[in-house]
Amino acid sequence: MLSKLLRRIHLYTGFFLAPWVVMYAVSTAAMNHRAFFSGEAEEGPRWERRAERAFDGVLPEGGTASAQARVILNWLEIDGAHNARWSADKTALSVQRQRLRDPLRITYTPADGKVVVEGQAAKTSALLERMHRRRGYQQDYAADDVWAFIVDLFIVAMVFWVVSGIILWWQMKATRRWGLAFALGGLAVFVFYAITL
Amino acid sequence: MEFQHLNRRVHLYLGLALSPWMLLYAVSSIPFSHGRLFDELDKAKNLPNWNKAAEMAFDAPAPEDKAGLRELGRAMMRAAGREGAFGAYRQGAKQVNVYHHSVWRSTQIKYFVEERRLVVEDKRFRWDHMLTGLHAKGGFEQDSVLHDSWGVVVDIVCLGLIVWVASGICMWLPVRGLRKPGIAALAAGAASFALFVWLL
Repeated sequence: MLSKLLRRIHLYTGFFLAPWVVMYAVSTAAMNHRAFFSGEAEEGPRWERRAERAFDGVLPEGGTASAQARVILNWLEIDGAHNARWSADKTALSVQRQRLRDPLRITYTPADGKVVVEGQAAKTSALLERMHRRRGYQQDYAADDVWAFIVDLFIVAMVFWVVSGIILWWQMKATRRWGLAFALGGLAVFVFYAITL
Repeated sequence: MEFQHLNRRVHLYLGLALSPWMLLYAVSSIPFSHGRLFDELDKAKNLPNWNKAAEMAFDAPAPEDKAGLRELGRAMMRAAGREGAFGAYRQGAKQVNVYHHSVWRSTQIKYFVEERRLVVEDKRFRWDHMLTGLHAKGGFEQDSVLHDSWGVVVDIVCLGLIVWVASGICMWLPVRGLRKPGIAALAAGAASFALFVWLL
């Protein structure tokens, strides 16, 4: 009964989280071979101007940069996960709107009241890296919190797949010897790298 | 050996061999996902992150190009008596920093160009940083066989993840009783993933 239950949970959690498994695998490979995909990471992203508008809203005085950025994002109708900060001389508010598929940089300059929106050319390796690095809990948006919760679920699932896999393997007597060889071999290689790297 | 038998064995043995990496990536993802909590806990200890290990005279040109910067980084590592993986970064016109990371120890070496001075600082050991450092460790950008071989291992883990999904589907397909719930789980996962890619 326990064995059957473990198999079912192992299977269905694996199926539900399969898109994340594939995403993490492909994005890790892309990051591991950054130089192959392009020199993009070395050079930093290239921003292209998308729009320029005169801001006619009101920023909350004394509010945090993030709260002020949110007013601008709402005004642009693109509210969502972001980082914001004022330049040291307080002449420009720079907002990184962390859209997964199409990240934007918004710059507001109070002196001329202008808002400039810039975007990046679409790039698969950059999209994969953004997916891989996406966190959620530090943002005040429900979708980001749910994504972060799924990442936590993925962490629990990975541990479960390993533990349930070991339990299921040990029940199959015919595979014990070879299984032990692979498990110990993997562990030895891992320990070697943990010591030497 | 028939295909299904081979498929089951590959799924099983690959999983057993790569299970240390699965556990590493799982456990080290916790401080990534909850970084603020770990930082707050550490901040409460009120300990400095970096401790000065040495300071010495150092004189070398600070080039702008990537290859030259890498060569300077190598010289700074030698002067500081450190070996292993490193990255060299310019901090404006007057400073070059080298970050050296091994699993158990991290060091930053600061070169103040005008003062011709090198400052070596060791990072206080933190378990969460050790785990995230190993999680994020690549290999191919370093000049050593050891690091290149780690890069290959990371590629094998990536391939292993894809093989688990594919071999899992191959094992599930012939079992008629599991088809409907399996399709439901696959479809729900794919739909959720697509929804988040669209929403976020």
